[in-house]
Amino acid sequence: MRTVPPRSLLDVDDLSPGEIVSVLDRAVAFRDRLPPRDLLAGVPVLNLFFEASTRTATSFTLAEQRVGADVITFAPGASSLGKGETIADTALTLHGIGVRVIVVRHPESGFARRLADAFDGHVVNAGDGTHAHPTQALLDLMTLRQEFDRFGGLHVAIVGDILHSRVARSNIVGMRALGIEVTLVGPPTLLPREFAGDGVRVERDLDAVLGRVDAVMMLRIQRERIDTGLLPSLDDYTRRYQLNRTRLRSLRGDAVILHPGPYNRGIELTDDVLDDPRSRYVAQVRNGVFVRMSVLDLLVNGAPVPA
Amino acid sequence: MKTLIRGGRLVDPVQGIDAQRDVLIENGFVSRIGEHLDADGARVVDAANAVVAPGFIDMHVHLREPGQTYKETIATGTAAAAAGGFTAVACMPNTEPALDAVSIVSEVVRRADAAGLARVYPIGAITKGRAGRELAPYHLLAEAGCVAFSDDGSTPRDARVLRNAARYAADLPCVFVSHCEDPDLKGDAVMNEGSASMRLGLEGAPGLAEDVIVARDLLIAADSGKAWHIAHVSTATSLDLIRWARARGVRVTCEVTPHHLFFLDDRFDDYRADSKVNPPLRGAHDRAALRAAVLDGTIDAFATDHAPHGVDEKAQLLSVAPVGFSGLEIALGAYALALPALSLARYVELLSVNPARILGVPGGTLAAGSPGDVTVFADRPWTVDARLFLSKGKNTPFDGMLLPRRALATIVEGAVVFEHGCVLPREEAPA
Repeated sequence: MRTVPPRSLLDVDDLSPGEIVSVLDRAVAFRDRLPPRDLLAGVPVLNLFFEASTRTATSFTLAEQRVGADVITFAPGASSLGKGETIADTALTLHGIGVRVIVVRHPESGFARRLADAFDGHVVNAGDGTHAHPTQALLDLMTLRQEFDRFGGLHVAIVGDILHSRVARSNIVGMRALGIEVTLVGPPTLLPREFAGDGVRVERDLDAVLGRVDAVMMLRIQRERIDTGLLPSLDDYTRRYQLNRTRLRSLRGDAVILHPGPYNRGIELTDDVLDDPRSRYVAQVRNGVFVRMSVLDLLVNGAPVPA
Repeated sequence: MKTLIRGGRLVDPVQGIDAQRDVLIENGFVSRIGEHLDADGARVVDAANAVVAPGFIDMHVHLREPGQTYKETIATGTAAAAAGGFTAVACMPNTEPALDAVSIVSEVVRRADAAGLARVYPIGAITKGRAGRELAPYHLLAEAGCVAFSDDGSTPRDARVLRNAARYAADLPCVFVSHCEDPDLKGDAVMNEGSASMRLGLEGAPGLAEDVIVARDLLIAADSGKAWHIAHVSTATSLDLIRWARARGVRVTCEVTPHHLFFLDDRFDDYRADSKVNPPLRGAHDRAALRAAVLDGTIDAFATDHAPHGVDEKAQLLSVAPVGFSGLEIALGAYALALPALSLARYVELLSVNPARILGVPGGTLAAGSPGDVTVFADRPWTVDARLFLSKGKNTPFDGMLLPRRALATIVEGAVVFEHGCVLPREEAPA
């Protein structure tokens, strides 16, 4: 029986836990053997990136080409929409031209939702402000499952600038849906208490957390946080929150290290971490392409018919 | 010209009346209150099964004229006031240009007289251009018709400027009205800071942004002796600060809006700006404190902060869409919805008696000799359809909701300006 596909992927919770697993299964199948390039044959897909992106834009483009979509890439200036033409008018225009899928990145939280509410087609959120980045969370989940072959009972620490991280938010949503215990670690200005919730703890002491987790995800720290008075200095931050040679010794031998990239060597992590056999950065970016192929397939074609 | 409001339940807390009484208005003033008064050629307003109250005064509205007449004009704003049951409004000075000079205030007064649908009391700016640097000419503005002063929409960042303004204007009866939000603590916030803003990845303004300015302004009020009014209180801590100041003898009053009394900060999941307002909608703790403060008397007045905008403006992205929405035409029902246990006497105090007292304007009672300004209302449920607003601002978070109370008739200086769902051009008194 075919299930009704979700029209858009704005955050991970647009998928049920069962659908997440099914998206990952299909991504694994694509990784093991590339599908014929006809899953989205002739479907016009627009990559609409209002914010600079190297990895995500490249990954989406490759994924779209591998499923045979007609790929259009447009990178408007960050401010060209929202001034003159309304979101609704833009959505109408793009649909009229023939676009059926929009992969969108925008610096403002909620942009993907506003676009999806106005667009008569599929929207894939490739990152909206500090809100959500669901395909990144899915590729992180794929990497974790590849490692542990399960989700329930896992414990993951996410470390750094949680407040400004769409990757952290989407991972919290996805991990909780799958029964993963989450511990958030960071200073109070970048990790307010309000983030604590069911199955989500807020901790300040990274050293106290590292030995207890199956995976640690290190988030990028931006210099801008010093200019805006949220951090005193990078040195002060790294003293407490940097993953380095000393702290690697606290991490269990079977634990893994994740980073959404791009990383800042010498800030949230040191070269030792990237060279460590527990680092999974390359697996993450590799999985990203297959997860995105799988998401496009699910949104446009619906769930696969069981064999 | 005579107008008789017949058969209604008169609620006039100043006179201590809550009983069925007719009200007769002659030549713009109340001439008699009694049972079964003779119509004798008067225009009759049937108030059977309705409440008759001294005219409601909304002491916080934005009429947008001059400068932003695509959002609202004095004519459309006062039409909305009449339809909402308000006989008078006090309009904020954040127009373009600001209400900081005699010529501008005089023009507002002239246009309000021409429109004639509600009394309009201009609130002058505290600083020129509301820029927070140079003092506005308070005595001249008061002579031109200003009843209060405010830099509403913002606050003078420099406490020395505000202190000097308060000291200079201390001997004028016009109250200072504070919009309390610290611009630095507020940052680029689009909503309240809390678990909802964290989850949505939206920048939130902490209640602290309001509290620190309330505290500062109350201390400046104490220092200067100036009478002070805190606009649209939204936090529990602000209320505590106001109680503390009163206990120390500071002359301070405050108001609350219908939206802060009814809604919470849980209305942003669709990332639309329909509920974007300053100060922002808060959490359950603050809302409960606001409701309790209306009942215990800490809050003196209901005020809508009627802030009309174009529909297209409010449809923009959350970061750029303007703050505020229409309030005049939903207010009577919205207050009743938020506070079903509120007595009618207290309701009239908050909407008429206290606003008149705070602003030092006529009204607040229908005692013989008082202005013939009357609001007739009833508990008749109706569904809000913002598209039908007379205001040019067609946005409200109450859109589509069932409200339990509405205005039936509005009478200004004895002239019926709203009845049977229609705003009426004001009849000229016979020569």
